[in-house]
Amino acid sequence: MRLFRKEPKAEQLKVIIIGAGEVGYHIAHRLTRENKQVVVVDQQPEALRRVAEALDVQTIRGSGSSPVVLHDAGAEDADIILAVTDSDEINIIACLFANIISPASTKLARIRNEEYTLYRDALAQDILNISMIINPEVEVVKNIDRLLSLPGAVDYSEFADGRIRMVGMRICSGPLVGVRLMNFRTVISDGDVIIAAIVRNDELIIPTGMDEIRADDVVYFVCTESSLESVRNVVAALEDPIRSALIVGGGNIGMRLATLFERKGYHTKLVDRDEERCAVLAEKLNSTIVLHGDGTDQDLLREENAGTMDAVVCLTSDEETNILCSLLAKNMGVRKTVARINKVAYQPLVRAIGIEHSVSPRLSAVNSILHYIRKGKVLSSVAIRGEEAEVMEALAEAQSDIVGRPIHKLSFPKGALVLALVRGTEVVIPSGDTVIEPQDRILILSTRQAVSDVEQALMVKLKAY
Amino acid sequence: MRIGYTLYVIGALLCSVGLTMIFPLMFGVYYQDESILPLLYSMGITVIAGGCLIAVFRERTKTLLNHREGMAIVALGWIGAGIAGALPFWFGGMLGFTDALFESVSGFTTTGSTVLTDIEIVPRGLLMWRSLTHWLGGMGIIVLSLAILPFLGVGGMQLYKAEVPGPVPDKLKPRIKDTAMALWKVYLLFSVLQAVLLYFGGMDVFDSICHTFGTMATGGFSTKNASVGHYDSGYLQTVIIIFMFIAGVNFSLHFRLLLGEPGAFLKDAEFRFYTVVVLVSTAVVALAVYGTEYDSFLEALRHAAFQVVSICTTTGFATADYEQWAPVTMAVLLFLTFLGGCAGSTGGGIKCMRVLLLLKQAYHEIFRLIHPHSVSYVKLGNRIVRAEVLSGVLGFFVLYIGLFVLSSTLIAAMGVDVLTAFSATAACIGNIGPGLGSVGPAENFAHLPQAAKWVLTLCMLLGRLEIYTVFILFVPEFWRK
Repeated sequence: MRLFRKEPKAEQLKVIIIGAGEVGYHIAHRLTRENKQVVVVDQQPEALRRVAEALDVQTIRGSGSSPVVLHDAGAEDADIILAVTDSDEINIIACLFANIISPASTKLARIRNEEYTLYRDALAQDILNISMIINPEVEVVKNIDRLLSLPGAVDYSEFADGRIRMVGMRICSGPLVGVRLMNFRTVISDGDVIIAAIVRNDELIIPTGMDEIRADDVVYFVCTESSLESVRNVVAALEDPIRSALIVGGGNIGMRLATLFERKGYHTKLVDRDEERCAVLAEKLNSTIVLHGDGTDQDLLREENAGTMDAVVCLTSDEETNILCSLLAKNMGVRKTVARINKVAYQPLVRAIGIEHSVSPRLSAVNSILHYIRKGKVLSSVAIRGEEAEVMEALAEAQSDIVGRPIHKLSFPKGALVLALVRGTEVVIPSGDTVIEPQDRILILSTRQAVSDVEQALMVKLKAY
Repeated sequence: MRIGYTLYVIGALLCSVGLTMIFPLMFGVYYQDESILPLLYSMGITVIAGGCLIAVFRERTKTLLNHREGMAIVALGWIGAGIAGALPFWFGGMLGFTDALFESVSGFTTTGSTVLTDIEIVPRGLLMWRSLTHWLGGMGIIVLSLAILPFLGVGGMQLYKAEVPGPVPDKLKPRIKDTAMALWKVYLLFSVLQAVLLYFGGMDVFDSICHTFGTMATGGFSTKNASVGHYDSGYLQTVIIIFMFIAGVNFSLHFRLLLGEPGAFLKDAEFRFYTVVVLVSTAVVALAVYGTEYDSFLEALRHAAFQVVSICTTTGFATADYEQWAPVTMAVLLFLTFLGGCAGSTGGGIKCMRVLLLLKQAYHEIFRLIHPHSVSYVKLGNRIVRAEVLSGVLGFFVLYIGLFVLSSTLIAAMGVDVLTAFSATAACIGNIGPGLGSVGPAENFAHLPQAAKWVLTLCMLLGRLEIYTVFILFVPEFWRK
């Protein structure tokens, strides 16, 4: 290990963030921690003040769609321009001018309207040269669907373009209870499944072979796409699949989700408070029953037999309503509840009060943007159980320490674990004798404390850049 | 309401109708029968009458038709065409004026009820004219005029709306003239195809053309006393079943098929409804006649399908005297009398679209009772049906039933037995043709009292123009300046 690392150029990246909303704020937060130059542009002085007070960034007041403002923000020498306001139109126009002022920069836009995303390719290549279009709503809908369609799942993420899945499942009873990890293959014979971590009483355990699975543990399995079925068969064979769902809040996400549920043949009901919105929803949706009312109105919920629904998904823009509504539904006997919670600060609270699943479109926007910016060394990273541990997807560089030796001989930090490899198109669930080859994509689980050591290990010995 | 301009347009219509008599005339000349003179006289009178109207009310400026003028032109134009079409039969000497008018209106409105007791002795030129009135009336004489008369393009939408059946007429092309042209092209194409198929099945040229006209227009005039039953050929009957079915489908779907969009059929809710109704009814009727009337199941199926499709599309051909069949078949056929084909087809009746909308509306009411807080709409395909369309459909349904009640009571009051009175009225308003009782498929309308024929003639017109267009002429408000 070298004492004096040359400062990588990546740390001098200049990033302009247009929009200081929840998405903009959290990206700025993560980027400043990585020591990047960040400029935030917004029209709202309030939002700017919040960013300026909390973070080490430059703020510029004005509309991001204005070329003059972009110029003031120094778009000419920016490396990355992120247009993440709540308005698709402003984001698109901002990228249009950014492309004129600074054609070489990487541009990312948050675009939510489906009708725009139909022309994704045109926006991305021909006209605006946008490098990536982020539609967190689509991600969130997918995420909710995964949580619901995989009985017992409390957490779910995908790596390597969906070829590797990590799923956290609560084990209540069944054949896995009382099994030591070294013996778990006697229960799940599929070789493509590995147990990555166990969460017991809200504490993360990086397991060894001697650890035992107990009832009420959340076990994180890493597996290939095809072997997910065998995990489900063992863990959640007893649970019935979802057949009916109540969606509270008919915004974009609610509508997308209802459309998806219709396609899957669920019996779907959708509640929204705004009558005009209900009219739009009733027009766009077919078999979904659109109800006008308040999701926290107990009479309405009882009238529509909400207690007999398999799942209740609360997606209004107000997190307090979502939390309340989820709790009400749980109280009425609903099996699964999902609440949309945007404020990152609320996330740890959510489990404490008994809501099993929460989704956040903004957080997923932040994640996908960061994923894109980090491209190169660490391909993506997902936090599990709050921030206690992280699963990273990284590329094994030829000159790094980890290449060319069997895994059990690696001087890998304590608290870190190689979960899977992707070699070409093939997914390898490694054993101790597996050798990592250059250009493998590796999936590493690491506790928060070990993250920096893991990054060191991944580091190329001689800086290529 | 500019009466002069209205009459001017009607004059042009009459000229067109008169000129179409050339077609049957050619057959008259070829067969050298007694139809030549009646057709020549009729053509002369019609063209001259039309010419006079044009000359007297000629206007130099093209003016936009308003809604009222459009309705008046269509209603009066149809009455004019009905009278012009009656002339050949009247001059031919075999029918009195009432009977001739009944036959002509029955032709133009694609009803196919006849007062001729022996069809086979009628001169061929007149038979061809009788069938041609079907074909002209099927797609609509106004739609035909829109396609060929250039000056009608101005404000033509009013005319088009007044004639094309269905709650909301489709416009296939941006311009009304092109829409009319497209419809007629599709119509012509299917007609040629069917005539060729019939010809290869052993019909002669004359019969195959006449039966094609009767089929594609969902009319039902045959050249034989026993209707299509005359031809004991499974092939011919099957061809006619298929083309009757085609003629009962919305022509804009055929148009889209020809544009290379065959998926349009299955996506269309009305088409699915129509198909299901036809299939289920065929199954019920086939099971009822299998073993009792027909020993072979295929034969039972073919005859059942023929009668069901014939009545449902409002064609009115027959291959069997279904009055001898089990009562359940007659009940099924009587209800189909009211249903009719799809909107935008050549069929009559209430139309599948309207019945479908009424059913949906009824379900919608029940749904609202179960979910009082729900926000929902009656939808067709993926689109909301506007409230005024729904109330229009409801109004139409009430008028249709009201007309049925009034006319059948009138006819019964003339001493006609109830089954005959009811079924004859239903068959005429629905533009079907044969009814039950003494106007069944094996009988005709000749023996009905004169007054009953007038009532039924009016019913046919009202049915073809979907009531509103004709009714409106009798409302004083309509004529007020």
